[in-house]
Amino acid sequence: MKKVLVFLSMLLVVVSMAAKVELVVWTHEDPNRTPLEEGYIKEFEKMYPNVEIKRVTYPSDKIKEVLLTAFAARKGPDIFNIEIQDEYPYIVNGRVAPVDLSVLGLKNYNDLKNLYLEGSLDAVTYEGKIYGLPLELTNWCIFINKKYFREVGLDPEKDYPKTWEDMVRVSEKLVIRDGQIIKRRGFDFRYPYYLTFFVPMVEQLGGALFSADGKTAIINDNAWLKVLDFMKQWGPNGKNLGSPTYTAARKEFNKDNNTVAMCLSGLYQIDRIKAENPAFYNSKEWMVVPFPVFQNVVKDVRCNFYGHYYMVNAESSKEKQEWAWRFINFMLSHPQEYLTKVGLIQPRKDLIESDVFKNYPYANVFLEDMKKAHIVPLHPQGPQIEQLIREAVESVMLTKTTSQDALKTLKKKANDLLKEEQ
Amino acid sequence: MEKKKAIWGFIFTIPAIVFFMIFDFYPVINAFWMSFFKKDLLSLKPPKFIGFKNYTYLFTSEAFWNSVKATAIFTLGTFIPMVLVSLVLAALIMTRKRFQKFLQMAYYSPAVLSSVVAAMIWLLMFDPRGLANQFLNFLFSTQGIDYHWLSNENMLRLATIIVYFWKYVGYFTVIFVSGMASIPRSIHEAAIVDGASGWQDFLHITLPLLKPTTLLVSVMSMIQCLKTFSTQYLFVQGGAPRGPIDVITLNIYNTAIRDHQIGRASAMSVILFFVIMFFTYLQFKVSRSEEVTY
Repeated sequence: MKKVLVFLSMLLVVVSMAAKVELVVWTHEDPNRTPLEEGYIKEFEKMYPNVEIKRVTYPSDKIKEVLLTAFAARKGPDIFNIEIQDEYPYIVNGRVAPVDLSVLGLKNYNDLKNLYLEGSLDAVTYEGKIYGLPLELTNWCIFINKKYFREVGLDPEKDYPKTWEDMVRVSEKLVIRDGQIIKRRGFDFRYPYYLTFFVPMVEQLGGALFSADGKTAIINDNAWLKVLDFMKQWGPNGKNLGSPTYTAARKEFNKDNNTVAMCLSGLYQIDRIKAENPAFYNSKEWMVVPFPVFQNVVKDVRCNFYGHYYMVNAESSKEKQEWAWRFINFMLSHPQEYLTKVGLIQPRKDLIESDVFKNYPYANVFLEDMKKAHIVPLHPQGPQIEQLIREAVESVMLTKTTSQDALKTLKKKANDLLKEEQ
Repeated sequence: MEKKKAIWGFIFTIPAIVFFMIFDFYPVINAFWMSFFKKDLLSLKPPKFIGFKNYTYLFTSEAFWNSVKATAIFTLGTFIPMVLVSLVLAALIMTRKRFQKFLQMAYYSPAVLSSVVAAMIWLLMFDPRGLANQFLNFLFSTQGIDYHWLSNENMLRLATIIVYFWKYVGYFTVIFVSGMASIPRSIHEAAIVDGASGWQDFLHITLPLLKPTTLLVSVMSMIQCLKTFSTQYLFVQGGAPRGPIDVITLNIYNTAIRDHQIGRASAMSVILFFVIMFFTYLQFKVSRSEEVTY
């Protein structure tokens, strides 16, 4: 009997040791990133044969809801990433695990912070703990098709728009219309990401989304009104320079098909141009310039940046959490490859100080803008507030609503929302 | 023997009953239950019982009443033309001696397409540079007029109605065709022998005998319109303003998925459930009183 028991317990130990740890990773589709990370998975599995990693991708507009549904059913993946403003509620609600410092070979959070640019982990720091590691920090600058500039007698190197007033002037020269229908836009905004590009425009004129104590929304009516008026002028009922109902400008830009001369995008756009239209990429007929400011700028703030942080499910077993952080750390220890192969900026000091980064086309333009920018506002009600801003902007652009009325409605609804939360 | 058969019959239905209980009945009951609670989808805290507060909130919410308005406009704007046009198309098909099957297939084909694909195709057409503007400019002999299909409040509503109408008109036409085909030929022949014209035959024979089918089609299409979602969802994703087409189902989706308020979304679902129940009840009630015998 004793022998049998010993045999069984030994068998149990062997079986449990042989059992593979399976990690499930959910991430958004990025054709340039997939082969890179698939390669890291193979390497990691070779290093640790007891670990099996299943990487699942979803379209970037779908992953949010799939992830939410999975977490609501307590069946979330072990590792995931979405945009930080959508990840924030996962942190606040205790659904993700803090970074396992021992796995990373670090003593404390300061050691971790020291690896990254100052402030780049603030978005995932909550009640003294850090809950994610950045896959990318992205800000948007203006991509320019030089050919169309020259076509209308502009020198792209000198005449590129430095202010929003310039942007209107330059766009009026570049736009081609057939009656009311725009055939070529000079520039168009990146609808509907209003927290990313619209709020900084308000801040440039002295406004803010929230008061310092976070209890009041929509600060400085004058600044908001000016930017709403600007958008009204931009839309079909004003100077008719663009509209949310046209195909996204960044998608058309890559085609170089005379439908848009400028668009707003991140550094990753360069690799997308390269992949989608190598001829255009190689022609060097494109360039990147900083996010403009208003002429009477009160605060020189540029396009907000957002991040994708890899996070670990707090409900995964302790063993899985440890392996998950080990794997994330392994992937993210290749920041130069993420930059050169995917165009993603990981805000690690060793990357920013490297020659690879310094020599990467236009990386400096993005970095200089990022220094003057801050992360998108993080708030549990953020997505709802973005929707309210969208309603306000699009009502002035697409309907006869005045900026004053739109602002009044926005202000009331946003503050009602905050009160409801309190 | 009969009793034994009945038992076996019941046993064979058990899988279907279990399936229905798990995937239909349980979610419905759960939605009712959840509608009395405040619950954040992401929170691990237990739901907080708040009684009828979700309902009182909705009935005083401007956004909810806007959704009711958007749903009502869409439903009325879609199902009335859909019933009338599918009836006319069915009558036209029935008068054809050749190509009846082909016409039925041609009209039915959009219904086979997924709603998402249909909405994507139409989104491209409603783009300011798309076919919709080109067609209207050709029709009215104008140059470069933008009819603001995706931005003007009324045009946007019309655009979603067109997509739905295009997708389902063939489906209801086929139902009408089968309804018309079930009317015995002898009745039409008797009317013609009595000197009735084609129009009189349609008006006094076909239409009255088609009443159950007409009711079925109108109620079915109304229910389907009340549940519309994908077209509005994709149009909003495509850049159209949400307000004019924020139908109840879209509001439910946003309340649950964007705002994480599953209790409030459940309350909205329950309200929609009762509205649909009411129309289903109406269908049963009216179709019973309108039974036709030949």
